Amino acid sequence: MKETLLLTKHMRENPEDSHSLKSYEKNGGYESVKKVLKSGTPEEVLQEIKDSNIRGRGGAGFPTGVKWGFLAEDEERYLVINGDESEPGTFKDRILLERDPHQLIEGMIITCFAANISKAFIYIRGEYAKPARRVQSAIEEAYEKGYLGKNIFGSSMNLDIVVHLGAGAYICGEETALLNSLEGRRGEPRLKPPFFPAVKGLYNKPTLVNNVETISSVPWIMSNSGKDYSSLGVEGSTGTRIFSLSGHINNPGNYEIEMGSSFGEFVDTLGKGVKNKAIKAYIPGGASAPWLRGDQLDVKMTIDDVANEGSMLGSGAVVMMDEDTNLVLAAKSLVSFFAHESCGQCTPCREGTTWLENILERVASGRGRLSDIDLLLDVCDNISPGLTWPPKMTTICPLGPSATASIVSLMKDFRSEVEVLLPKKVVIG
Amino acid sequence: MSWETERLEKAKQIIEMYPQKRSALGPLLYLAQDKDGYISNESIVEISGLIGITEVQVQSVASFYSMYKQEPTGKFLLSVCKSISCEISNSSDVINSVKNFTGLSNNETDDENFFTYESVECIGACGGAPAIQVNYETVEGLTPDKAVDLCKWLKEEEPEIVVADELQDKFGGVKSFDWAIADNNGATSPVPGFQTYDTSKEKK
Amino acid sequence: MNEKVTFTVDGKQLEGKQGQLLIEACEDSGIHIPRFCWHKRLDPVGMCRMCLVEIDTPRGKALVPSCTTQVSEELIVETESDTVKKAQEGVLEFLLINHPLDCPICDKAGECPLQDQTMAYGPGESRFIEEKRHFEKPIPVSDIVLLDRERCILCARCTRFSDEISGDPLIEFIQRGNKTQVNTFPDEPFKSYFSGNTVQICPVGALTATSYRFKARPWDLKKVSSTCNCCSLGCSVELNVSQNKMLRILGEDNEFTNQGWLSDKGRYNFEYLHSENRLLNIHSRENEDYQTINISDAIEKIKDKIKDLDNPEIKFIVGANSTNEEYFAINKFANSLNRNEFLSKDKSNVYFADDHIHNGYFSEEYTNATFEDLDNSDAIVVWAEDIKDNLPVLFLRIKKAVKNGVKLVVFGHTNTALESLADLYLGAEIVSNNFELKTSLSNIQELKNIIDSKKVTTIIGKSTPLQKKDSLDTLINHLQKVSDLKIFNCFSKANTFGAIQHIDQIKGLNEFCTEYENSNKNIVFTIGANPVNSSFFGSKIKDILEDTDYVISLDIFKNETTELADLILPTTAFGEKEGTITNMEMRVMKQNKILPDPGSTLSEWEYLIMIAQSLGKDINYDSVNELNSELASQFTKTEALPTFDNLNKPSNLFGILNQKEINLNIKDIDQDSPSLLMVKRLYGDSSTQINSPSISMLGSERFIELSEFTLDKYGIESNVATLTQGSSSIFVNIKLNNLLPDNLVLAPINRRGFEKLDSTKDFDLKETKNMKDLSVN
Ligand SMILES: Cc1cc2nc3c(=O)[nH]c(=O)nc-3n(C[C@H](O)[C@H](O)[C@H](O)COP(=O)(O)O)c2cc1C
Ligand code: SF4
Ligand code: FES
Repeated sequence: MKETLLLTKHMRENPEDSHSLKSYEKNGGYESVKKVLKSGTPEEVLQEIKDSNIRGRGGAGFPTGVKWGFLAEDEERYLVINGDESEPGTFKDRILLERDPHQLIEGMIITCFAANISKAFIYIRGEYAKPARRVQSAIEEAYEKGYLGKNIFGSSMNLDIVVHLGAGAYICGEETALLNSLEGRRGEPRLKPPFFPAVKGLYNKPTLVNNVETISSVPWIMSNSGKDYSSLGVEGSTGTRIFSLSGHINNPGNYEIEMGSSFGEFVDTLGKGVKNKAIKAYIPGGASAPWLRGDQLDVKMTIDDVANEGSMLGSGAVVMMDEDTNLVLAAKSLVSFFAHESCGQCTPCREGTTWLENILERVASGRGRLSDIDLLLDVCDNISPGLTWPPKMTTICPLGPSATASIVSLMKDFRSEVEVLLPKKVVIG
Repeated sequence: MSWETERLEKAKQIIEMYPQKRSALGPLLYLAQDKDGYISNESIVEISGLIGITEVQVQSVASFYSMYKQEPTGKFLLSVCKSISCEISNSSDVINSVKNFTGLSNNETDDENFFTYESVECIGACGGAPAIQVNYETVEGLTPDKAVDLCKWLKEEEPEIVVADELQDKFGGVKSFDWAIADNNGATSPVPGFQTYDTSKEKK
Repeated sequence: MNEKVTFTVDGKQLEGKQGQLLIEACEDSGIHIPRFCWHKRLDPVGMCRMCLVEIDTPRGKALVPSCTTQVSEELIVETESDTVKKAQEGVLEFLLINHPLDCPICDKAGECPLQDQTMAYGPGESRFIEEKRHFEKPIPVSDIVLLDRERCILCARCTRFSDEISGDPLIEFIQRGNKTQVNTFPDEPFKSYFSGNTVQICPVGALTATSYRFKARPWDLKKVSSTCNCCSLGCSVELNVSQNKMLRILGEDNEFTNQGWLSDKGRYNFEYLHSENRLLNIHSRENEDYQTINISDAIEKIKDKIKDLDNPEIKFIVGANSTNEEYFAINKFANSLNRNEFLSKDKSNVYFADDHIHNGYFSEEYTNATFEDLDNSDAIVVWAEDIKDNLPVLFLRIKKAVKNGVKLVVFGHTNTALESLADLYLGAEIVSNNFELKTSLSNIQELKNIIDSKKVTTIIGKSTPLQKKDSLDTLINHLQKVSDLKIFNCFSKANTFGAIQHIDQIKGLNEFCTEYENSNKNIVFTIGANPVNSSFFGSKIKDILEDTDYVISLDIFKNETTELADLILPTTAFGEKEGTITNMEMRVMKQNKILPDPGSTLSEWEYLIMIAQSLGKDINYDSVNELNSELASQFTKTEALPTFDNLNKPSNLFGILNQKEINLNIKDIDQDSPSLLMVKRLYGDSSTQINSPSISMLGSERFIELSEFTLDKYGIESNVATLTQGSSSIFVNIKLNNLLPDNLVLAPINRRGFEKLDSTKDFDLKETKNMKDLSVN
């Protein structure tokens, strides 16, 4: 199995200075946007994106062309790049920001051209200081060259980009929470309806919110074609994706591959296998995704195949857990994460995730009760009725239900690991 | 006690960047923390005046985000990751070694105001687990011993600027990905080193 | 928006309005969906998740909050499915795990939605064995409100109210996730004129009021609906009484007036009813001292006095707190004295004790506005005394209208609280310190843009008693000419409109003073009025009353005016009498009696009828009902007469809009430029407030407001100063208000220590540097 380098080609080939404008341009950077601004129309760009069938890389996998098509008419519209990347296991946007910021900027200019937008923001999580610096420097370079600002590339188009740092809140990755955060508010997700960003987004104006990887794909699509892009990968999961591989793996890292091969192949070839051990379980798509078992490594890495197994490809974060892993502690780590990151608006998420964390803590430290398995599952059920995936929700956003995924996985496939920690049933004869 | 002219000038510049004043709230909070080490009530009053919302509204936002510190923070903020990939790569050992060395428990600052220790959720360094951040500069592929070496070095050198590349060379191990490009920029306080907020400096 | 849609709930076909929220549409059809965070008057947030229902979607059934889901054609909803029930049980369990369950000592117990819904929808037992969240027990967030964060269920009602409705967001969520709590900023209390509303809408006992804490159990309360008399807005209220004591006043949701809200003054200004300072006996001055006498002796005395003085001249000064029935009786009584033996026919002898009143705009060429018009107009134009301080709930209505897109124009200098809401604030460049218009209105382009050919509602009244009516006429004439205009005559005190409706021809205190020169100084009745303390003419009136043969005061407290009386008749107060009042829309509403008459008090009308009868007048009313049905018959619209019977009908609980001819005869005060702009603040030294302990201190701060320019002129750098006028000087706090024009200094009128100030006289202002300066007086 080999990588297919579209987004990471330039950075791979120019490791010393792929972040600089000089290097980017030397390797064909900003050609796409020049072409589009010179001879393209917004409609054509939209059509290419639709043809590419690219689906959002932020986790939800929504078709990007369709999303752009929803953007409501208004004099004032915004583009917001979601660089909050905080889903445990995920570090793919980090490399794009850090090592190829101009590719993102070029993607943004084309996107803003297509959507008639003149003000854009890149929201980067606060912990990504270094990636943010690189993006900021790149933006300054672009302004100097006249690639940003007024009449860019000599056209009639104006575009300003502001980099905005988050401040330690995973929930701000959720697009409406992100918009609140960008408005200087608490990062609480908004109600949909009525706050669909494409209609009522930033400052209540129509707003496109797209992931870093999604928009970084735009220059390639425009310098080739939507059709070329859609010929890569498989139907429903076209193009390449950058997967972040971590956990008990010999060669962790970011790998850009076409979707369609199996997790097993991915782990064995690019990941160079797991150190002399078998895999007990793995997370196929970030901390929110239900686990798959070690005997499910032949599942194909496509959005639909993973969904058919009751999980999701999500943010493209693959975490391998070998047979020595204490899955109760693993689940506890995941649940603690969601409890810590709950914004606190919804009763079930605010109260339920912390309760789950407390129960798991008790169980893991040998203070569990016999009834705790039922209790854990029932509390999960009150956050995510039916415990199905994709989840039903009693909450505003999917964060709460995400907290149940690991517990449900644990109880479904690895219940004995919990049971040994609980007191034995005493039969009085 | 209100902000000095220099900081006010910076604040005004930042406010200018946004279509609506309130959007500058996050950056202004960083500006506050950069100088004071935390979000003081005086700064809250100042910011409230600058963007025209009430003090408690500023506080409400500030206290929502974990990177805005509500109590004075040391010169070096040590944030050890405990999320899933680090957790299963024995981050708890790193946590213990840092705690032992500094004598601090979670979210504590030492008497000299030198170290603040915290265990944090995923910092996007999962491929290089376990990982730590010093003033939001990342070090990947840490071992418990290297973590102690790192702390000792900070104690001895007291660097004015913390640079990820330098720390990674000295104390790091396996990385999430090849960092490639050489970088001399870093943080000068327990807030992210980012040039727009003037919290990033280049180490010569 | 008003299109009808049909949808299905639990198998039943229901009708609702397009865009209406499901929870509301269900409520209208008698289906109650449990909720905590949703409140009809607040924007929905869908946070508590108690109102979840199942709806059919293309991807199967989904749980959605009914408080954020709009009804639409063919929507299929289940409110009682197993999934819904399980979810509700789950939410309640979640809410209870961190709730202290201290119901036995909680004010809210017995009327607590959390308690009630737990009974109805909750789990039988708790499976929570972890430690609960802990917070410091009740902390005061203001002078009148306490916060218990352990009881709070984070519904965001208080935070939304203060942000959306009252516009003073001083209480907010702090921290996030499981640590979230509500709080105020240290040193910045929840100082709002409307804080009590948060106590009322808090669905648990997290916010409590100092005045009610531990005083009662809800099931012991006797309740009656009534109408507040703190200002002329006429907020609908519910009076709560236990053991013949008023314990609490709640806002009722009257769609047309207060929409559920009250100002803190309206809500907490009731403790005076049971004050030991209440006048409970008839006092008659014998030589220097007062003696208590009984009612028949009192009536005898009055009768003798009138006989002795032989055809005396009798004048009445009336206040704003009487009911329509009482004004009607006063009018009858005054007229009977007039027409028959004592006075010539054309002379009116009733004077109203509020210097802000003027002739107004009542004739047929003007259209009277209703509060609803505020929402339905394109623009609101305000030129009047401070709305937020004098008609606080009207301020909320204006704010709401502005939030929904209505434009606001404000003429200076008294409504500075409205400036931040205003699209156009016309201050010093347009309005002189003397409250005259400096420019022709047709020259102001921005004004043109907002009002020309638009639907405009104006709230117009004298900003200060010294303002000339001409200036108002200019504005009204202009508005009449260029826009489609409706008018609120802004007379802010309680039942002013009742007084002017039911007294044939009312005059002002200006007229009282001038007419007195040519009269016989025989008998003056003051009825619920304290002009000596609250009028521009206070000192003149004091001299007059001292000079009068016989002064009879009807009142509930001793005050600066009753002190001058020869006979004091104690009267019943709010909650102790039945009657109607008319608000500034000309809406007649019912006030109800729930407390017994204290001591030997009687209603004002009862005294007057007794006196009339003792004089052999043919005025016979046995009950307030009789007065009511007679006065009601004089209204113009015959189909909706404001009789008690009609007003008690469920369909008229919001009051009856009706009109009567109004005939005022009031002249401007002959005085130029005020040097001190004396304005009335919400809190002050009214005898009701100083006798209501919970709020008595709220009006105690002595301050003045002035612009930076004026501050510089007096060379003041600190925030305290000494204001000197003649021989009196007061120590005042300085508040900067840059909306005030140069050289105009604003001071509260109804404030202890400020009564000596004369707005027409010069004053001096000096910075107070050390404590020695403070002792001057
Ligand atoms: C709890 C939560 C966290 C999320 N975090 C991220 C994130 O860190 N980065 C991201 O791009 N999208 C994240 N998303 C998805 C965004 O809401 C949104 O779908 C995405 O930014 C859209 O961009 P795309 O269409 O390009 O994927 C998150 C969603 C949820 C519910
Ligand atoms: S589910 Fe959790 S994170 Fe999402 S809105 Fe509700 S409380 Fe906030
Ligand atoms: S009432 Fe609907 S979520 Fe609270």
